[in-house]
Amino acid sequence: MFDQIFGNYLVQTGRISKEQLSKVIEQEREARVKLGLIAVAEKLMSKEQADEVNHLQSLMDKRFGDIAVERGYLTEEQVSQLLKKQGNIYMLFVQTLIDEDAMTLEEVDEALTEYKEEQSFTQSDMDALVSGDIDRTVKLFLPSNSELYDKLCAIAVRTLRRVINSYASVSKAFLVDELNADNFAMQMMVGDHKIISGFAGSGNSLLSIAVPFGEEEFEQVDIDALDAVGEFTNCINGLFATDLCADGLDIDMVPPEFYDHPVVLKGRQFCVFPISIGDDHINFILSVDSDISID
Amino acid sequence: MANILIVDDSRTSRKILRQILEEGGHTVIDEAVNGQEGVQKFQANKPDIVTLDITMPVLDGIEALKMIKAMKSDEKVIMITAAGQKSKMIDCIKLGADDFLTKPFDKSEIISVISKMAAK
Repeated sequence: MFDQIFGNYLVQTGRISKEQLSKVIEQEREARVKLGLIAVAEKLMSKEQADEVNHLQSLMDKRFGDIAVERGYLTEEQVSQLLKKQGNIYMLFVQTLIDEDAMTLEEVDEALTEYKEEQSFTQSDMDALVSGDIDRTVKLFLPSNSELYDKLCAIAVRTLRRVINSYASVSKAFLVDELNADNFAMQMMVGDHKIISGFAGSGNSLLSIAVPFGEEEFEQVDIDALDAVGEFTNCINGLFATDLCADGLDIDMVPPEFYDHPVVLKGRQFCVFPISIGDDHINFILSVDSDISID
Repeated sequence: MANILIVDDSRTSRKILRQILEEGGHTVIDEAVNGQEGVQKFQANKPDIVTLDITMPVLDGIEALKMIKAMKSDEKVIMITAAGQKSKMIDCIKLGADDFLTKPFDKSEIISVISKMAAK
């Protein structure tokens, strides 16, 4: 994900154009091979086994390699060999930037140092970002030290990248008491914790979730499109509830709610996590053990 | 091939499930948007199989399951769950649910479960 985050930084600081970034990402996408495909090509797994693991990923919020090991399809050693073959995504991004003559290696290094200083990241933080570890990356972009925030946001980002768009990326989250949105789909979870989570959008930005998840070409963010966003939220929350259940907590979900008109969300320091999906910018909203009212 | 009643408050889920079932050669005889409507449409349509979402407004899937099984104990009912609803799944098994499908839907799993159920 750091390829997108750093790529956006390069555009914002005028080092490359938006068009150059799109082209680099496109080239990188073509060069990137999924772990399952490599495993099948290397004859370590059958296509059926890879398909099964891909499906289980949507139910279990685990990495492809971890599930394949659990099912006995791959050994841990085979997974690490496959990961080496797949290569580091950020390195592929830098290589493509240089190949496309968008930047030199020295310019990339200089920009990376500046980014690190501006964000007040340590070298260990930067290593986490470059490694592509979603859990560690998401944690760096969240304002609180709450385990529940970290866990739910990491599941949301992983599920988005797996189900909606593998190039979804994040910006620094922030806490607010009030937020305006043109439309909003949310779901409440009750039990040992009261948790509200959902997606708020402006204009038609939530179509970036509704269209792929609902498998329908919605023209605008209406109730039907928000229903698809609500169902997607339900899937994220289901994975989160599974995680909490494994920790001995009891969490249940109530039916999602939708607002297809401008709303003001009001609460006490709830979390707004900006997510970019292509050119669309949406906000993942999260509140733990605190109410959000909607006007 | 089976006549199926889909009960789910989500239009998205109803649409995707209908599409998969019809591609599999089954007939979706009706849809309902909550448990209460589901029970009414069950009585009116007498389907071979009912798919019941667990989390619904007005009357949830568990209550609807109870009512359907009270009316026809051998009715084939498949519960639709999100991941993380393990305790509710156990309740459903105790109440006589015949099988489960988990969201997000997997086409081959749906066809396999429904075909097995239709052949019983």
